Amino acid sequence: MKTLIRLGVLTLGLLAAGLALAQAAVGQPAPVFALTDLDGKAVKLTDYRGKHVVLEWVNPGCPYVQKHYNSGNMPTTQKSARARDVVWLAVNSTAVDAYDYRKPADLAAWLKTKDAVPTATLMDVDGKVGRAYGARTTPHMYLIDPQGKLLYSGAIDSIPSSNASDIKSATNYVDQALGEALAGKPVSKPTSQAYGCSIKYANAG
Amino acid sequence: MPKLLRLLASFLCALPGLAAAQGAVVETAEVRAELVAHAPQGIGPGRQVWLGLALRHQPHWHTYWRNPGDSGLPTKLRWTLPPHVSAAEIEWPTPVRLPVGPLVNYGYVGSLLLPVPLTLGTGFAGASLDVRLHAEWLVCKEVCIPQSGEFVLNVPADRPSIAHAQAFARARESMPHTPTGATASARVDAQVLAIEVNGLPPSWHGRALAFFAEDAGVVDHAGRIEQRWDGARLSIRVPLSAQRSESPATMRAVLVAPGERAGIALGFAVNGAWPSIVQATPAPATTALPAADATSWGLALVLAFGGGMLLNLMPCVFPVLSLKVLALAAHAGDRRWLAAGAFAYSAGVVLSFVLLAAALLVLRSAGMQLGWGFQLQSPPFVTALVLLFTVIGLNLLGVFEFGAVLPGRLVAHRAHHPLVDHALTGLLAVAVAAPCTAPFMGVAIGVALTRPAFEAIAVFAALGAGMAAPLLALGLWPAFARRLPRPGAWMVHFRRSMAFPMFATVVWLVWVLGQQVGLDAAAALLGFLVALAFAASVFGAQGLGRAARLGWRAVAVVVLAVALAWAAPALFWATPANPGANAAPSTGWQAWSSEAVAGARADGRPVFVDFTAAWCVTCQYNKRTTLSDAQLLAEFDAKRVLLLRADWTRQDARITQELARLGRSGVPVYAVFPPGGMDTAPPRLLSEILSVAEVREAIRDWPSHTPPAQGTAGARTVP
Repeated sequence: MKTLIRLGVLTLGLLAAGLALAQAAVGQPAPVFALTDLDGKAVKLTDYRGKHVVLEWVNPGCPYVQKHYNSGNMPTTQKSARARDVVWLAVNSTAVDAYDYRKPADLAAWLKTKDAVPTATLMDVDGKVGRAYGARTTPHMYLIDPQGKLLYSGAIDSIPSSNASDIKSATNYVDQALGEALAGKPVSKPTSQAYGCSIKYANAG
Repeated sequence: MPKLLRLLASFLCALPGLAAAQGAVVETAEVRAELVAHAPQGIGPGRQVWLGLALRHQPHWHTYWRNPGDSGLPTKLRWTLPPHVSAAEIEWPTPVRLPVGPLVNYGYVGSLLLPVPLTLGTGFAGASLDVRLHAEWLVCKEVCIPQSGEFVLNVPADRPSIAHAQAFARARESMPHTPTGATASARVDAQVLAIEVNGLPPSWHGRALAFFAEDAGVVDHAGRIEQRWDGARLSIRVPLSAQRSESPATMRAVLVAPGERAGIALGFAVNGAWPSIVQATPAPATTALPAADATSWGLALVLAFGGGMLLNLMPCVFPVLSLKVLALAAHAGDRRWLAAGAFAYSAGVVLSFVLLAAALLVLRSAGMQLGWGFQLQSPPFVTALVLLFTVIGLNLLGVFEFGAVLPGRLVAHRAHHPLVDHALTGLLAVAVAAPCTAPFMGVAIGVALTRPAFEAIAVFAALGAGMAAPLLALGLWPAFARRLPRPGAWMVHFRRSMAFPMFATVVWLVWVLGQQVGLDAAAALLGFLVALAFAASVFGAQGLGRAARLGWRAVAVVVLAVALAWAAPALFWATPANPGANAAPSTGWQAWSSEAVAGARADGRPVFVDFTAAWCVTCQYNKRTTLSDAQLLAEFDAKRVLLLRADWTRQDARITQELARLGRSGVPVYAVFPPGGMDTAPPRLLSEILSVAEVREAIRDWPSHTPPAQGTAGARTVP
């Protein structure tokens, strides 16, 4: 009988295994997370309960991210959100072994040259948070309400292209959703197709 | 360094506005694009004329289909054409699936041609057709580079242009077509798009087809697609995207058989209401939990304790436990040793339950839609349990001893720490008890998960305490232990006989796996178990010489490796079986959805919902007894009760939410909604061990509408 015991250890490992991540859905509680920012400081989503939170998946190497940063569109949207007391968290889920992975210091320097003003920029190198949200592209945008419920998931705007000249005729979905949410109205466009580069997730996830 | 150069090159290419080519060819480091024409009869009104963009990708680079999948963008063509000439849409060739980590894209690799048919009006009268094209494409490997090109082409009017006839012919061959007689219909079933296809070519029957939705923003491109052939009819279940942005009334999709260049394109109307894009948050536990209000925390503790005690009798736990008891009884004389062993075991049990509860609470707070029994929704976990129970069973049979397999140091270490040994037995007992959720535990755990973390963990600790209680009592009062039979030769036989409940558990778990991933996977696992048994017998063999022992062991390792390689594809990459399979065969039962409940209630019909899972023993018992009772079914029929079955065998967020709304977190749950519209009382929940009498009592006052079918036994039983 005592000889069975080795298996107990094996079994404990199994109890924790085999769990697939559920994808976030609009109208449902947004997955909570704790990540470190570019200075290595811990940031939790729950730190910002009581405020609207925008999540932006970012990767400077992606031409679609460049479209919205070089044109000033993303920094402007960030400033307008921050001015309305909205928290903006940029998340980088690029795997460390991906060719366009940026170290935190490089990423901080790049953001500075673009006049970006996120509340914090978070490193998610194992991709767990990105997978929990079902983030597919850079950029991929989310809006979370003060109670932690997901209000919007999708693209930054309505014209999926790499041309910066399309920005002026496009509807900025994040700006629109924020305006509606802050005015106490339901979000009229709660989901859209995010467009951009595939997120290069780490294999293990 | 080469990496850096490549990166630099990528960025240079990515600069907007590629050098405008004054010709028909644009070439980048990743792709060569050429504007080509096909006009076998020359150019003129009414003639057949095609233009096309021929793309040749460098190895590993790809561009996208009309629906690019999880990321990417389709190639866009903007034409500048002479008067009286118009261009149609691209006739997209059949795409391929391009997985990128957890994402899936639809697109093209290698060489392809995107043909566009032209229409030439009667007014057209040029000596040549002068065409300008602005094309934009996104070409990706790991990196994505948006590129564009300006193309100019003059096609002479007076002679045929057939230089690219072959490329156009190949493009036509790989274009999805719709054979006559092929039809499809679809309905939305919770978070799944269920499509039925008829009239596919006989050579396709029974094969696993690739599925491509033409509409973007609807399905989960990387989700597991389930297919079932029923003769010539194919049923496909495609999971919807959790972040769906479109709710089309009609859709188009392309199916492709393995090895075929051309797919079959199907258009279909989507029946049934799309679930709301904004998924309602389940109401807070405090307002919508009648069961939680009725069941106080104290009662939950008592129920958990009782449920834990019952766990000892479950067929998978009893063998482990009874042998533990006998091992302790052998030391009945040494009172202190007995008590210490029993305490160590109890600590192991309680701690394991607390850890399991903590894991569940942490995962739930991270937003996962999980409930009790969540481990068994995972096929790899079920597979691992099958292997564990088989090995335990073989060990009990005496096929091999762990001491013969493990390094000597480990064995010695164990002998020095008997208390650690006892605690680990407790852990093992909890692990093997996991599949057998006892009655009474459902209520207690449901309550626990709606309480603050401390109270929840206390309920799980009570569950552990209940499970450990009988053995602890034995350890503390040696009078009990002295009543046990004396150790002797009979113990060997007893130990052997205890292997068989283990094997029975294996049979059941293989059945569960069959429900989850299909018959092939179950057969593959059984095949692997044979190899495992062989290896165990070799490693347990006594009295062999050193050379013979090493030889046999080498053979066993090879057999295991070959069996694993053979079984792995079916186990891990199988097309899963239809999840409704567990619910489907019983007549009269339909798959549960909250819309179905709401619809029936709006019509004033009563509803009975069976929340069940293949891995839930109590559920299966009730299903085969009470819920198969002919008289009861006839009574249901007479009262026009809508019978719905919510199958939780695999993870299903909607069912988890509905259970939470009912104040439960595991199965079985039986909910009865009385007739008479939406505003009536919340559903009544029946007990987990369901009796015919209880169900009949619950529905006694409901009116009978139609007389039951002739010859049904239940006709006389309607009050």
